[in-house]
Amino acid sequence: MKNKIKTYSIERKQARWGLLFTIPCLLFFAVFSFYPIINAFFTSLTNRQALNRTSEWVGLDNYVYLFTKSNGGFSFGNSLRATLEFTLGTFIPMVVIALLLAVFLMQLRSTKTAKFLELAYYTPAVLSSVVAATIWMILFDPRGLVNQISNLLMNTTGRDFGWLVNSNMLQVSTMIVYFWKYIGYFVILFITGLAAIPPGIYEAATVDGSSRWHTFWRITLPLLKPTAVLVSIMAMLQCLKTFSTQYMFTQNGAARQPIDVITMNIYYTGIRNGRLGRASAMSIILFLIMLVLTYLQFSVSKTDDVEY
Amino acid sequence: MKKLIAVLLALLIVAVPMFAQGAEEKKPEATSAASESKPVTIEFWTHEDANRQALEDRYIAEFKETHPNVTVNVTRQSSEKLIELIQTAFAAGQGPTMFNLSIEDEYPLIAAGRVAPIDYEAAGYKDAKAVKDAYLAGILDAVTVDGDVYGLPLELTNWSIFINKKVFRDAGLDPEKDYPKTWEDMVEVSKKLVIREGDILVRRGYDFRYGYYLVNNMPMVEQLGGKLISDDGKEAIVGEDAWVKFLTYMQNWGPNGENLGSPTYTAARKLFNKDNNDIAMCSTGMYQEARILKDNPDFYNSGEWMVVPYPKFKNAVKDVAGCYYGHFYMVNADADEATQAAAWSLISYMLSHGEEYLKNVGIIQPTTALMNSDTYKNMPYADVFTKDLERGHIVYYGANSSEIQDLIKTAVEAVMLQGVDPKQAYLQLKASAQEILDEQ
Repeated sequence: MKNKIKTYSIERKQARWGLLFTIPCLLFFAVFSFYPIINAFFTSLTNRQALNRTSEWVGLDNYVYLFTKSNGGFSFGNSLRATLEFTLGTFIPMVVIALLLAVFLMQLRSTKTAKFLELAYYTPAVLSSVVAATIWMILFDPRGLVNQISNLLMNTTGRDFGWLVNSNMLQVSTMIVYFWKYIGYFVILFITGLAAIPPGIYEAATVDGSSRWHTFWRITLPLLKPTAVLVSIMAMLQCLKTFSTQYMFTQNGAARQPIDVITMNIYYTGIRNGRLGRASAMSIILFLIMLVLTYLQFSVSKTDDVEY
Repeated sequence: MKKLIAVLLALLIVAVPMFAQGAEEKKPEATSAASESKPVTIEFWTHEDANRQALEDRYIAEFKETHPNVTVNVTRQSSEKLIELIQTAFAAGQGPTMFNLSIEDEYPLIAAGRVAPIDYEAAGYKDAKAVKDAYLAGILDAVTVDGDVYGLPLELTNWSIFINKKVFRDAGLDPEKDYPKTWEDMVEVSKKLVIREGDILVRRGYDFRYGYYLVNNMPMVEQLGGKLISDDGKEAIVGEDAWVKFLTYMQNWGPNGENLGSPTYTAARKLFNKDNNDIAMCSTGMYQEARILKDNPDFYNSGEWMVVPYPKFKNAVKDVAGCYYGHFYMVNADADEATQAAAWSLISYMLSHGEEYLKNVGIIQPTTALMNSDTYKNMPYADVFTKDLERGHIVYYGANSSEIQDLIKTAVEAVMLQGVDPKQAYLQLKASAQEILDEQ
């Protein structure tokens, strides 16, 4: 009979410790992310209602309903439109301007000014979304600051620009709130990425006579690609999940239809109207949209080809 | 391989009951009869009202003195938030022991069997008939199913029109003579009262209570001959002419019409008590009187406010005032017997102070005793509220009343804010409401 001799390499030992340290994190995700996702999927295949004690298996009926019926006047199609318009209108300008601001801050010679501006940009990110939306509700009021500034810029008097009334203006208002709240967060991420680029590369470029513009396009931007991909994915996912701003606006009298993003429709369908099965189906569709878009962004950008 | 199988089996054992719970919720077993010595905890969720809070905190303290085994945890939230919290809590099987909501939000809980009928003995009544006899005729119909009563009214409220006389006089109007009797008057009077800076409203004459369409706007449609649901319960949004006229009226009222008000301005009733010359009229209930006294005693004592009846259209085919709604105290059916008994006992004790609720909070608990009392008759403008109560009816309550209210809100917002044609908004409203009704 052959005796088995167990051998342990250093890598295996390290891997075991690594596994041990990641178990709490895995458990956390299993309980608070994976379990809800799988549970939502099962619920989406039932006609579960909030107040009923029992539910029936309905297969894909909820999914078919969402794409064929009006969901009691608040169709899923309208929510898809509102979410995509909000996402495109917010995350593209946010990523571009966050990058420009980060480059601007890195170029500032005065560290104090740079630190102050970083802090100023980042401060709104620490506010709760509800507080931010409430502040902006006051600013967007017909007698508020935004309307007054609009009158000043347009050289008009007492005109109500309908920031919370007109459908298009209402959409723009929600974009402004989100942009204001999250731009600082992404500026900090870009600054971290910029700081990781070795200064020697810039020095070599300067010695070779490269202009600032040329350096930005040929060195900074390519080397910042991994950060840019990360920021764009995070920004896009944040925008797809937007909720508080739209919710607060509608609670204070703004029309729901133009800004009825998917998350808000999920909330009204599931929490207000108690149709948990249908709301779960919407959640699963949103999850799939986010998954596909993230995969596409990763595929298109090919982040691993950046080496210093 | 063995390890892998063991791990998979363990996962299966854990996962199956977890997902099974997602589809069906287990009802806890009721315990044996109530025991007075057994510790009981009552989770009591209610809406915020500073005047009522002062009273109820005292009642609870008094109740606990005579029931030392009872602990009462009170959670207060805004009335809007409370609707969502209670529904979510019940969905998770964690509903409060006792709570109150407006009847249109409570009725689905009765229909789903989530609330318990009154424990008559604990509440101090012989039976259901004794409870009904104690209240005005028909008041408990909305909470009576198969002969059992499921709730006791904390308040029965109807809204009339509160007027700030000073604002009327400031606009050159005599409030006693010129107050609006019809909805057409409401537009004309508001035009005289309104102050604008360009397009921006600085002072409004009157503005609606946006969001409460079933209570405050549905009677306007009924005056014009329309209905929310047909008598046989099969058709939604009945009477095209009436609905289109109502939506046209609202469009004319809004920023794209006469610009007399909008849902995006601060709610009129919130401004009224401040007496800041920014609102002349608002729709609200008798409870507003106690709130004016608390918020602005000088204004209350000045006599510069009055209450007038709910208007009707000049060509109204039916005289209907604002609907009345009831907030009923209810008890969670999942609570054990002892807890249910303690909760009904507490509710009954609190509601035994009807006159104090009326004097201090301005809310009406519609017992026959209170409605015939001098305390009620001596409340300012009690006669106006009583007559409007007689002209009105209870608000629509059904399994999907809140969804239907959201649809009316969307239709009104569409015509007022987005410039949608009233006929088109009506068609959309009818189709969506019918879809909801058909799903029931």
